[in-house]
Amino acid sequence: MNVKVRERTAPSIAPVRRPSRFSVIPRTAREWLVRAASVAVVLIAWQLYAPHLNPIFLRPPSAVAKAFVDLIQDGTLVQASIESGRTLLLGFVLALVIGLAVGLGSSRSWLAYNAANPWITALYSTPSVALVPFMSLWLGIDDTAKIAVIGLFAVFPIIVNTQQGVRYVDPALMEVARAFNTSERRLWTDVLIPSALPFIFAGIRLAIPRALVGMVLAEFLISVGKGLGSLIIIYQNTFRVDRMFVPVIVVAAMGVVLIAIAQWLEGRLVPWARRDR
Amino acid sequence: MTGLIKVEGASKKFSNGVVVFEGLDLEVAQGETLCILGPSGCGKTTLLRAMHGLLPLDGGRVLIDGKPVTQPRRDVAMVFQHFGLFPWKTVTANVGYGLELAGMAAQEVHQRVEQYIEMVGLNGFEKSFPYQLSGGMQQRVGLARALAMQPRVLLMDEPFGALDAQTRETLQDELLSIWEKTGAPTMIFITHSIEEAIALGDRVVVLSPRPARIGEILRVDIPRPRTVAKVIEHPGFVELRERCWRRLRAKDRVA
Repeated sequence: MNVKVRERTAPSIAPVRRPSRFSVIPRTAREWLVRAASVAVVLIAWQLYAPHLNPIFLRPPSAVAKAFVDLIQDGTLVQASIESGRTLLLGFVLALVIGLAVGLGSSRSWLAYNAANPWITALYSTPSVALVPFMSLWLGIDDTAKIAVIGLFAVFPIIVNTQQGVRYVDPALMEVARAFNTSERRLWTDVLIPSALPFIFAGIRLAIPRALVGMVLAEFLISVGKGLGSLIIIYQNTFRVDRMFVPVIVVAAMGVVLIAIAQWLEGRLVPWARRDR
Repeated sequence: MTGLIKVEGASKKFSNGVVVFEGLDLEVAQGETLCILGPSGCGKTTLLRAMHGLLPLDGGRVLIDGKPVTQPRRDVAMVFQHFGLFPWKTVTANVGYGLELAGMAAQEVHQRVEQYIEMVGLNGFEKSFPYQLSGGMQQRVGLARALAMQPRVLLMDEPFGALDAQTRETLQDELLSIWEKTGAPTMIFITHSIEEAIALGDRVVVLSPRPARIGEILRVDIPRPRTVAKVIEHPGFVELRERCWRRLRAKDRVA
């Protein structure tokens, strides 16, 4: 009975997600089984093959496990984890503060955006590792330089994602804000920052692995100390390949845990985006 | 009755030089519902945005209470076709948004919000986020947000255009009754549905395709309180619909 001049559809419907054929997190018993079998096969093969090699080059997983226990018992691993974790945390906070400040500050002003972007694009495209020697030249060889390196590695995805988040705010919502006479300050708190939050979290998830790379590289390239990266170098120099694996495993675990924390935080702070998951 | 809202010689061009409308004159009386009916793309939404000061006109002006509109006024509220709800705000926060911005005390905002959530029938959904609501419910939130401002003028930009026919009719009926309950604010209602224009309007302005001109102004002499069903059964309805339809069709051929 309605004469429609034109059909219209609701513009605010969430995009339909195709069910993915393979899930990241195993859901069925069969998926768990295949994954566990894959890990077991590789470990067993390694265990059986390693004794035929010179122990300087490779030791079996059982030896790695024993090294892990030894390093926990003599306190080396805990100390190294605290040491590296501390620089990682400080570096990441530095990246977050600078990333959000630059990202938000350059996203809405034409002048700031155009002034900042050649630098951001150039520095983001440069492999961050190429800039590490500058950091140690300018900041020395202690923790300050390492923190700066971690910050350098992590900051760019946060800047770029924050910028995009603010710039891709739904124009319809900007119009609503204008229609209700929203002040510039309330525009930030009510519209721009909430709209950018999912992007900011995407930036953080990208920044975590980069920060870990920065953490290990800083110890390789700036100075060997007592951190996890340093342990890798120390045990390499003393031909303890079994112990070399231990800090690597810890760094990998740190990445998994940090990303899980970021995802949990995102779920708490961005509850309206739950439909996307 | 003198016109509360006057549009005088309004003209608007797009940046590419296309004329959206030119020399439009309109007058809306206090308490009147004026429906603006036109083919899609004829610039009716652009006109409504200009009436709220969201877009500058290239010529002419819009007066409310004799004052030219240059930016959104607090006593004018708008309801959007795209609903325009903040996805990160609950129903309560969305409805209270305008009041809060207007500097109303939190306690008072709370009471007012409760009252209007009740009026649009959303009790029990206060803490829901928009994505948890159906389209019809989302637009109820949009309606409550505008009504909570207790505006003198309601600007409705095809508010039910994105809804299915059934939901649309329910909301039309509710709007009719809410409009009575809220003291009959002046309302300008943009639509491309002839039935909707006749059901809601005291007058229906039929616009021609771009560049939009006023094709015809029809008076709808159907008594209030109305419901959509009553309007459709009214003996005058068929003739009004015919006239709107002919006017729209005639212009289509010219375009």
